Amino acid sequence: MKNPDNDKEKEAKKAAMKTLRAQRKDLIASASSRMKTQKKDIKAIKEFLKGKKATIPDIAEGIDMPKDETLWYIATMKKYGQIVEAEKEGAFFNYSLNEPEKTQEKEEV
Amino acid sequence: MVPTNIKNFDTLVVGGGIAGLQAALDLGDQGYKVAIVEKDASIGGKMIRLSKVFPTLDCASCITTPKMSAASHHENITLFTYCDLTSLNHEGQGIKALITQKPRYVDPIKCIGCRQCEYICPVHVSDAEQGDFSARKAISIPFSTAIPQLPILDVEHCMLCGQCEKTCPTHAIDYFQKPEEFIIQAKTAVITTGFDLLPVKNNFQYGNGHIPNVIDSMQMERILAPHGPYNRVLRPSDGMEPDSIAYVQCAGSRDKSMGVPYCSRVCCMYAIKQAMLLSGSLPLADIIIYYMDIRAFGKGYEQFYQNAKAMGIEFVKAKVARIDKGENGSAIVRYENQDGSGIATADHDLVVLSMGMIPGWDPRSICPVSKDSDQFITSIKPKISPVLTNMAGLFVAGVAAGPKDIVDTITESGSAAMEAAKFMSNSHMEN
Repeated sequence: MKNPDNDKEKEAKKAAMKTLRAQRKDLIASASSRMKTQKKDIKAIKEFLKGKKATIPDIAEGIDMPKDETLWYIATMKKYGQIVEAEKEGAFFNYSLNEPEKTQEKEEV
Repeated sequence: MVPTNIKNFDTLVVGGGIAGLQAALDLGDQGYKVAIVEKDASIGGKMIRLSKVFPTLDCASCITTPKMSAASHHENITLFTYCDLTSLNHEGQGIKALITQKPRYVDPIKCIGCRQCEYICPVHVSDAEQGDFSARKAISIPFSTAIPQLPILDVEHCMLCGQCEKTCPTHAIDYFQKPEEFIIQAKTAVITTGFDLLPVKNNFQYGNGHIPNVIDSMQMERILAPHGPYNRVLRPSDGMEPDSIAYVQCAGSRDKSMGVPYCSRVCCMYAIKQAMLLSGSLPLADIIIYYMDIRAFGKGYEQFYQNAKAMGIEFVKAKVARIDKGENGSAIVRYENQDGSGIATADHDLVVLSMGMIPGWDPRSICPVSKDSDQFITSIKPKISPVLTNMAGLFVAGVAAGPKDIVDTITESGSAAMEAAKFMSNSHMEN
């Protein structure tokens, strides 16, 4: 049986969230836009690294992204287990997708 | 409105870095009830963010983490992290502090520190804890050894998508948390507010922070740390392993035009330490330190300096006049040799600026304690008891009173704890 108190609580929470979203409208808009760009950039890196490894300059050239930004993403993706470091090539290291992570992400999607 | 939430302690320690932790532990072990108020989300201060310490090259985490853990588990010590100190004044025979607990948007009782919220969060934010060389999430625990292990939700970057709330197994996310004010009443207080580095953006001769691969020494600490952004030494502009690294000493210190006419005391030694660590990580790299004087003042420091020279680190007595952007990510250092050979330029893959130390806290309009002309807190008896301030019952330790190294900071913290204990014991006898 439904508990009317729970329903009331849910409704009140929903209304409070609506108010909070209205108050933070501008912050939410800028965070959303940043997240969309990041999602696109991360997807491009993952696509580029599918089945291969590459250095930062190679990835940056391949996806048309500044090298410092590419390194920023790679360092972040490495921290969160999406990328692993591979062997060195000249003065640069190669990076590749972390395969178990790739599988896990498929499951999440 | 005056807060009604009043907490009573024997001593209030302002700042939870190594100085504050040491003072709190020394007092707590004597049976005094101590509150540590820290502005950051974790205790540990600058030291927990370092790679290693000079002259022993001990791991900084290995020294700091046990003290952080001991303080957090101590029956006589209470931690108040992520708090702002609004006022600190005498009241009656003691000290009264008004504190604001900033909202974490996470219930500290319910949170188990599992980081599920962080993993699911879709927004990446540049991570200042890693020198801005990688990202954290909009909700994240500041760093892996942080105490307490509680995430902070960064409202500026939160989309309110609700994913963290849905994922949290203990329903700890609270989007509606508000700042909470409370009062701490104590018999004594110890100020251990440490330092900040003079921002690189203030230094136009060295590019105002706009030249790629010109970084400050704290950023280099992160690059050198085993749990740093790259887990190895790479150049931030393109991920290249640098072949030539330069240190520019007195970048801000001993420079009236930068507002820091004093010597920051530790820059020579930490630059030598970092150079030695770099030499270990990149044995083939050229490492050059441009210096005005080497101040190796502590026990074993001169030997440390001589060891660095023996390892092949090059010391060039010169004042660097300016740094310009070079080709392929290099930085061009223009300097005047002090041996009389005149002006020269050199290309480096990576340049580290040893920026001056400035106070981490300004007591203005918060606390009537007096400051010196260098803006650090005044020690009224700098020779016989440097921890005494012009306010009775209020003591200072560590870099809050002026630049000093970790060894001196820890010693001074013990002294501040003893002075506070003496003050409380004398007050007790008088009553």
